[in-house]
Amino acid sequence: MSHGHSNPLQHPEVQMASRSSYLAGFVIASLLMLAATILVSGQVLPPFALLLTIMGCAGLAAIAQIYFLLHIDISEHNIWNTVALVMFIPLFVITIGLTWWMFSQLYLRTMPMIPGMPGMH
Amino acid sequence: MLVNLPGPWSPLLGRLALSEIPYTNPILAPLFVIIVLAGIALVVGITYYGKWGYLWKEWFTTVDHKKLGIMYIILGLIMLFRGFIDGLMMRTQQMLAVGSGHNGMPLMGAIHGYLAPFHFGQIYSAHGLIMILLAATPLLVGIMNIIVPLQIGARDMAYPYLNALGLWITAAAVFLIMISLFVGDFSHNGWFGYAPIFELAYSPGVGVDYWIWTLELVALGTTLGSINFLATVVKMRAPGVTWTRLPVFTWTAVSANIIALTSFPCLQVALALVGADRYLGTHFFTAGFGGNLMLYTNLFWLWGHPEVYFVILPAFGMISEVIPTFSEKPIFGYITMVLASFAIAGVSWIVWLHHFFTMGMGPYVSTEFSVATMLVGIPTGVKVFNWTFTMYRGRLTFSSAMIWSIGALFLLLIGGLTGMMLSIPAINYMVHNSVFVVAHFHMMLLCIVYAVFSAIIFWFPKVFGFKLNEAWGKIMFWLFSAGTFLVFFPMFMLGFMGETRRLDWPFNLQWAPWFDIQEVGIAVYVLSVLAFLWLIYVSIRDRAENRVGADAWGTSRSLEWITDSPVPFYNFAMVPHVNHRDEAAWRREHGFSDKRPEKFAAIHMPNNTPVAIVIGALTFVIGFGLTWRIWWLTVAALVLTVLVMIYRSGKGDPGYIITAEEMEKMDRESRQKMDDGHAPLPKGGGYTGGTVTAYSAEVGDPGSQSTPPGNSRPLS
Repeated sequence: MSHGHSNPLQHPEVQMASRSSYLAGFVIASLLMLAATILVSGQVLPPFALLLTIMGCAGLAAIAQIYFLLHIDISEHNIWNTVALVMFIPLFVITIGLTWWMFSQLYLRTMPMIPGMPGMH
Repeated sequence: MLVNLPGPWSPLLGRLALSEIPYTNPILAPLFVIIVLAGIALVVGITYYGKWGYLWKEWFTTVDHKKLGIMYIILGLIMLFRGFIDGLMMRTQQMLAVGSGHNGMPLMGAIHGYLAPFHFGQIYSAHGLIMILLAATPLLVGIMNIIVPLQIGARDMAYPYLNALGLWITAAAVFLIMISLFVGDFSHNGWFGYAPIFELAYSPGVGVDYWIWTLELVALGTTLGSINFLATVVKMRAPGVTWTRLPVFTWTAVSANIIALTSFPCLQVALALVGADRYLGTHFFTAGFGGNLMLYTNLFWLWGHPEVYFVILPAFGMISEVIPTFSEKPIFGYITMVLASFAIAGVSWIVWLHHFFTMGMGPYVSTEFSVATMLVGIPTGVKVFNWTFTMYRGRLTFSSAMIWSIGALFLLLIGGLTGMMLSIPAINYMVHNSVFVVAHFHMMLLCIVYAVFSAIIFWFPKVFGFKLNEAWGKIMFWLFSAGTFLVFFPMFMLGFMGETRRLDWPFNLQWAPWFDIQEVGIAVYVLSVLAFLWLIYVSIRDRAENRVGADAWGTSRSLEWITDSPVPFYNFAMVPHVNHRDEAAWRREHGFSDKRPEKFAAIHMPNNTPVAIVIGALTFVIGFGLTWRIWWLTVAALVLTVLVMIYRSGKGDPGYIITAEEMEKMDRESRQKMDDGHAPLPKGGGYTGGTVTAYSAEVGDPGSQSTPPGNSRPLS
């Protein structure tokens, strides 16, 4: 039924799989999430810095998962992974970017900051 | 227990108790008895005729894309009927309840009409969810499943087992929503749900849980299917099927499945967060504790709008196949047709906010989404003009498939123009949440239903080897169209008069005549359902007279029409070499229509597997266990699912080989079973296609150099 490689072990995604990379992806992502949880529950940083830090953690965790678990990189031997990566960028910008814009405009109008009131960050 | 569960809970049965079965409900209790009796009759019938082995071997364990497609379509038609009954109940309720005063039926516990508000809420929620995700989606996926591999000359989908898995997971979703009729309640928050009313504190029953897990299952099934479609079209095309020779229907399937693959995960995440709120006590979508209720609406429609185009694009593809066949011309503007499909798919990602213009995010954001929404009109307009130009100066045959397609164009026009009105925020503020919006999207979804009926009539002879009855197809069309007109035009009027949607008690007596007209429309719809059943009956009864050859319509165009009707399980005895975009028309024109393969080769086919139906059943148990919070059952089913998956991965499927001699024998038998292939052609002749100049542009195509198109046959 299949064209090309009949032996699935020859497929690049199988060739790239290794226990250590899966383990590394899992450990790095878990550590980053743990770090974010500790930062938030301990309130170690001022609110805005905290927001930026946990966003940074989330970004790093996403990159680690994409690289170590999904094996999506920009090398040439797996062209479809590269296509997937390229497809991902505009969708990411559209969905996250437009949502961010939409909610910032919404908060501007519906959640005015009153001095002395515990605000939303 | 992480959340405070209202009501009793036991470790063995979770929230399930005898009191959850609505045996006192005067509608559900008799229905339950009827369904149980019908089920017993079915089981006894199958056992009496000894068909269990046949069903298990040929259908339940099959990985054949055509049989899976047929089962998808049957599933979709059954759910279309269920959703229609919900619609009938809503229309009847509004007709009975309109006006002031107590006009309700005390027997049903209703103050107005015959349905209590809680019951009415469940009906409109189930109606929306069923019609979009469990009727339209399975119908379209089923037709894509049958036709896409045939149009690209493949023997099956790229992953036949995954295909079966997608079907059985979708079937699990169907069973879950159907069982909510008789065990517990369904959600009453609308098909897309509202934050924070779906939170446990405000909807303490199991209805929302049924809703979550039904949606999760159908989303999983559709995502798996979309991966399969994309892999199939990318990897399984027959020699000669270049990207520029893909039929338009396959192109729309590609664009639709790109949307499905990228958007369905959004739905799964949004519902997983709702699940976290309800099961783990998080606060993603409550206004307190830092949650945001509009975030849910945002995440839902981030999937919801692409989903709308996921269902409309294959419908456009079907119209694009039917109209050229019955106009005896190639499709006008093939390249623009493909580009328009991808433009619609691309724009689908930047318009979702128009579902909640009234959120209050101000003029700048509204303007962007308003402009983006209006942009959709451009590629859609291109498509409509292309279809019209295809018909222009064509030799039109108004067969039943063709009139369904033309009907779809009219609905598309009405739905599209009202959509343009709704894309203007100022108008949207006026009619938001009114039945004007409901009438608008029913025009669009009925456009899909028209295209689906057109496609079923059009491709039925390819799959079953005989045509459906033309006269009854047309009678059904006119009844269905009359019903559509009578139900939805009053709905537009009521929308302008300010009737809000989901109204169990329309208080304004002046609306009464419009509700009466709508009820008449529903009665006409009932007649069209009967006409459909009769259509199926007479077609099967008279099948011997309506047998067809490979080219069932005599004017067909794309590759699927060169193989036998009904399509044998291996699709093509030898993989065809494709010379032209409209391969069947090209072969007919060059006198190759009757050409059979001269030699045969051994072919490799996948084995049947019971794993898919087992996993489907287990996912149903997971959904049911989660809904009723029976933890041991959920964990057991989950562990079993993983074990079955590991078992299957370890075993793999070596498939089996059919030798060349067997192939030759089967091909001969398949040919003998078929009509001689010279069925009487439609009036007007010229079935080779009147506009032969449309082919000359193809000479420069590198793929066609080996077999250049010769002089076209002169028109008779």
